[in-house]
Amino acid sequence: MKWLIFAGKNILRNRRRSLITVLITAVGTAGILISGGFALFTYESLQEMAARDSGHLIVAHKNFFTSDEDTPMQYGLDNAAEMRKRLEQDSGVRMALPRVQFSGLLSNGDKSSVFVGMGVDPAGEFYTKGPALTVASGTTLSAAPKADAPAEIMLGTELARQMKAVPGTLLTLLSTTTNGSLNALDVTVCGTVSTGVPDVDKRLVYVNIATAQHLLVTDRVSTLSVYLKDTGQTDVMRTQVAAQFPLQTVQTWRDQAYYYEAVRSLYNRIFGLLGIVIVVMVGFAISNTLTMAVVERTREIGTLRALGTLPQQIVGVFVLEGMILGGAGSLCGMLTALSTTFIFLFADFQMPPPPGRSVGYPLQINFSPSLYLLTTLVLVLLSVTAAWFVSRKMAAKPIVEALTHV
Amino acid sequence: MSATAATADATLLCLSGVTKTYRMGEATVPALREVSLAIQPGEFTALMGSSGSGKSTILNICGLVDRPDCGTVELDGKDTGTLDEQALTLVRRENIGFIFQGFNLVPVMTTFENVEYPLFLSGVPAGERRQRVSEMLTKVGLADLERRRPDELSGGQRQRVAIARALVKMPKLIIADEPTANLDSATSNQIVGVMHELGRMIGTTFLIATHDPRLTVLCDRVITMNDGVLQ
Repeated sequence: MKWLIFAGKNILRNRRRSLITVLITAVGTAGILISGGFALFTYESLQEMAARDSGHLIVAHKNFFTSDEDTPMQYGLDNAAEMRKRLEQDSGVRMALPRVQFSGLLSNGDKSSVFVGMGVDPAGEFYTKGPALTVASGTTLSAAPKADAPAEIMLGTELARQMKAVPGTLLTLLSTTTNGSLNALDVTVCGTVSTGVPDVDKRLVYVNIATAQHLLVTDRVSTLSVYLKDTGQTDVMRTQVAAQFPLQTVQTWRDQAYYYEAVRSLYNRIFGLLGIVIVVMVGFAISNTLTMAVVERTREIGTLRALGTLPQQIVGVFVLEGMILGGAGSLCGMLTALSTTFIFLFADFQMPPPPGRSVGYPLQINFSPSLYLLTTLVLVLLSVTAAWFVSRKMAAKPIVEALTHV
Repeated sequence: MSATAATADATLLCLSGVTKTYRMGEATVPALREVSLAIQPGEFTALMGSSGSGKSTILNICGLVDRPDCGTVELDGKDTGTLDEQALTLVRRENIGFIFQGFNLVPVMTTFENVEYPLFLSGVPAGERRQRVSEMLTKVGLADLERRRPDELSGGQRQRVAIARALVKMPKLIIADEPTANLDSATSNQIVGVMHELGRMIGTTFLIATHDPRLTVLCDRVITMNDGVLQ
């Protein structure tokens, strides 16, 4: 305790210098925590978007992800209803949604456009999509369409604009059936949606799964998307589902989330580099402060050594000073980052749309106890190492030399 | 050369054939030339000599903060040449006190803490430390100033603190390097008196480098140095 008090008093010798060092450390800590928190928020948001889009697990025919089909639905799943029932019996599964992927031409009578369609179970699909899908006009597909009514279709906003379609417009879907012939189906637009990605919205079509199967003349589905109650259980559940359906293949949302992985990889590099720069900057600041302190106190160190202080005790005092400076700086930085996190949580700051997207997203900073702990540990360790490094030589300096230092 | 026959028996400090040379650029400067010296327990010894005569060097070697190039230094009958830095530090901690010309107090510590420091290093319990420090500060007349920092004290008061710091652990030997050089005449008289009185009271041995005749008249022995040799 005496040593700690001594170290504390030493820090207060040059208050301005110590304050600047603490401020630099605080700014560095806050910088790391805010940028790291922002990166974590981005990862979490993208993860949620990816999982909402594809499902946590995607069960498909074993060749579905690796081979090109000769005809539509060649690698579709038979007995999807039975599989769905078995999957949904698992307590970890929220729901399993069948999907039919298809493509073709969409016509309004005057012109046609290529579409990429998805036959879905409307009841589950639009519930799971949540904020990842915005209904721009009209309504979503009916969960229980009337038998005598024309099939419903939802269009991406850009595709709707191209086809001059609004809710109620009649269009024709044209696609290749499973036996290779062409089939056409009249549909009524019930609504338009936006994914926030203009390129996707230019081609996007949603229809009821029964409509898609009717168009393709099949009772197969392309995939079963499994939504879990806990995203953290993805890998465990993958193993479990793969064992349950050995003839199928099972991928996770991460396997499909190319955008998520690309952004994560990019952000890891950017924020990693930023973190290294900040850590080096803080390291230099603390080293500089302690080097000046060591040089200024050379004579005093000689006196203390003469009085019987061991070199390691001298180094210990400087290490404590480094620890106090680093700790105080980290604490201030944490408080700053925490305050910023709260401000951003309640203030509606929007980030501009990322490349390839048409909508921005809220600027928020995640609070991660492990990031706070790790950052503090790294900065305190850095301060301690810097203090040890700059003081060890002086502590071992011959006492006579130290006593005559001017 | 030796001013006093070096006899290790019953002596506190015994230097035999101590030589020390400093290197200044290309030149080699001899600071001590085969110096032998024996100091008895409780002795008050003054070391006089012109600047560069080797006074400080011999004080450093006697205080175990420097090592001779050759020759032996025995403290309390033990050869200190065989000790490593750590062991020497511990010997200094327990047996030797220092009074410096420039006081060399720790500026961030109060009077009390400066005097307490050697006891803290020796692991003396807090209660005993407080008692011994208070007693010592009373003896040097600074009982009322124990919370002051060195920059709030006069030169004489600072040197009293330094004396108290050196004496508080009741060392066998005190090395004092020109303790009155930075003080005015009246203050010097007080400091000399305090040192002599407390040294006698505690029975500590003093080795003092000085030019101050007020100090030398109180010493049991005065040794003069010239060109690294005891006269």
